[in-house]
Amino acid sequence: MLEIRDLHVKFHNRDREAVAGISLTIGDGEIVGLVGESGSGKSVTAMSIAGLLPRKQCDLSGDILLDGEDLLHAPRSALRQIHGRKIGVVFQEPMSAMDPLMKVGEQVGEVLRIHTDLDKNQRRARVLEVMEAVDLHNPEEVYNKYPHELSGGMLQRAMIAAAIVIQPALLLLDEPTTALDVTIQAQILELLKKLNAEQGISMLFISHNLNVVRKLCRRVAVMQRGVLVEEGSTDRVFFDPQHPYTKRLIDAIPTRHGKETV
Amino acid sequence: MKYALKRIFMLVLTMVIVSFLTFLAFELISGDPAEAMLGTEATPERLAALREELGLNRPFLVRYASWLAGFVSGDLGVSLRYRQPVWDLIAPKLEITLCLCLASFVLITAVSIPLAIWSYRWTGTVFEAVRTAFNQLCMAVPPFFTGILMTYLFGIVLRLFVPGDFPDLHTRFGEAMVHLFFAAVCLGIPRTAMTVRMMRSTVISEMQKAYVRTAISRGNDRHAVLTRHVLKNSLTSAITFLGQTMAELIGGSVVVEQVFGIPGLGRLLVYSISTRDYPVVQTVVVILAFWVVLAGTLADLINQQVDPRLRLGGAA
Ligand SMILES: Nc1ncnc2c1ncn2[C@@H]1O[C@H](COP(=O)(O)OP(=O)(O)O)[C@@H](O)[C@H]1O
Ligand SMILES: [Mg+2]
Repeated sequence: MLEIRDLHVKFHNRDREAVAGISLTIGDGEIVGLVGESGSGKSVTAMSIAGLLPRKQCDLSGDILLDGEDLLHAPRSALRQIHGRKIGVVFQEPMSAMDPLMKVGEQVGEVLRIHTDLDKNQRRARVLEVMEAVDLHNPEEVYNKYPHELSGGMLQRAMIAAAIVIQPALLLLDEPTTALDVTIQAQILELLKKLNAEQGISMLFISHNLNVVRKLCRRVAVMQRGVLVEEGSTDRVFFDPQHPYTKRLIDAIPTRHGKETV
Repeated sequence: MKYALKRIFMLVLTMVIVSFLTFLAFELISGDPAEAMLGTEATPERLAALREELGLNRPFLVRYASWLAGFVSGDLGVSLRYRQPVWDLIAPKLEITLCLCLASFVLITAVSIPLAIWSYRWTGTVFEAVRTAFNQLCMAVPPFFTGILMTYLFGIVLRLFVPGDFPDLHTRFGEAMVHLFFAAVCLGIPRTAMTVRMMRSTVISEMQKAYVRTAISRGNDRHAVLTRHVLKNSLTSAITFLGQTMAELIGGSVVVEQVFGIPGLGRLLVYSISTRDYPVVQTVVVILAFWVVLAGTLADLINQQVDPRLRLGGAA
């Protein structure tokens, strides 16, 4: 359903390409992990898919196809139809990713306002339904809150709700749990698993932590300095890493699991 | 609501402090009002009698309290120069100056917000250089100079108003407003330019924020990002800035009133200072201080409505 072919991204103010020839596919209902240390180009990859790169400041080449539709070379106006409707994005810092002056419920329903003909009441009903689905309890109450009145974990649930409210085909998750503490992190991962199982949404899950990826994704790609150095089933990559960089990433995980493999 | 009450209490408290300091300062600088009223040839008996009559023999704090009570009830004392109640002297001038400042404020607000949006949209086009230059020009040219040009052009050449001959505000309201309009424009030009520049840079910095990226990822176009998210987020700094503008306008009005021959507070103040008419000066100082504090309070109260984060502690 998503196919990236030989993607290159070069910022004008950088010598090196941020993304230097990546090819990756995500199948229907699949969750693919993308790991790599900070600065390796994971976010830039995700932003190219979501069309959020500043086009005037970089050169893009290659192809990104979503259900056969070209995302990279389409005009902005056509892309806006795809953003939000077919692709939902969840960012790392839920607090800064939300408009501080807009009620959480309105932000969750914003995609519906832009892409559907639903009236206010219908939108509200749908928003409450989705809030329930992402385990936000008391959705009525949460609807009327402003972002600063919610915890990081609740906000990230709301961000996820906003991203899936219109049932997009693909969810891009750019380090969605990095800013959260460990218990909340685990809950969010459970939630994503549930959404994937129940609604069949495909996901690209980005993290610098291979251990987190392992809990969620069956397939993982390892990124270093703008290229994919390794790709395969998560278990295979985790227990039998081929590339020295992957080995280093695994060794860097400060958990029991990491040591078991040594 | 609680927040509003707190803010209003602060305003009252500030005004009490300001009035106290003003009263104290004028006690120190103005010397003996009885002597000032009667002149140097007055006999000691007459001076003593007047002092008694004016209540000057009472302790300082008592005199302050009675002055404050008089202030609140509208009894501001008598002008040494005109021998008229201060309030009768000030009220008609204050009316004119308030009209001038409010007109200027409305112009600044109505013009600068759309201009700021335009000028943001022009970023990166050929208009940008022109806009920047024009903006700097507007900030750099002082109101008295534009005032001189405008009285010449609109007053003497086009005869839209008569410089120096200000129509009565009550009987010839329309003509008076025309006169005030040109003065308000002069007064407002530099502040408009500053507001535009300030708002533009606020919008630009808001545009860099993460929530904008989220808004784009949902399919908002440039226009919707601006109108639905960024403008509201830029509003609080604009309101604070406009509050300061409102406070500063009354100071700027002094010069503009001179240029346009408008018999407002500014003229009275300048005259009263030069003739050491302290009861008048004292009252004007308190009024000006009140205006400044009021502007700040209003800006805070409006901001608190715009931004729920400012309601913390006052919401419950
Ligand atoms: N807007 C930008 N302008 C210039 N360089 C950028 C920009 N965004 C990202 N980069 C560069 O691209 C590289 C990859 O960044 P990124 O994708 O954010 O890494 P990460 O894997 O941590 O998400 C980094 O070297 C970064 O400095
Ligand atoms: Mg990143």
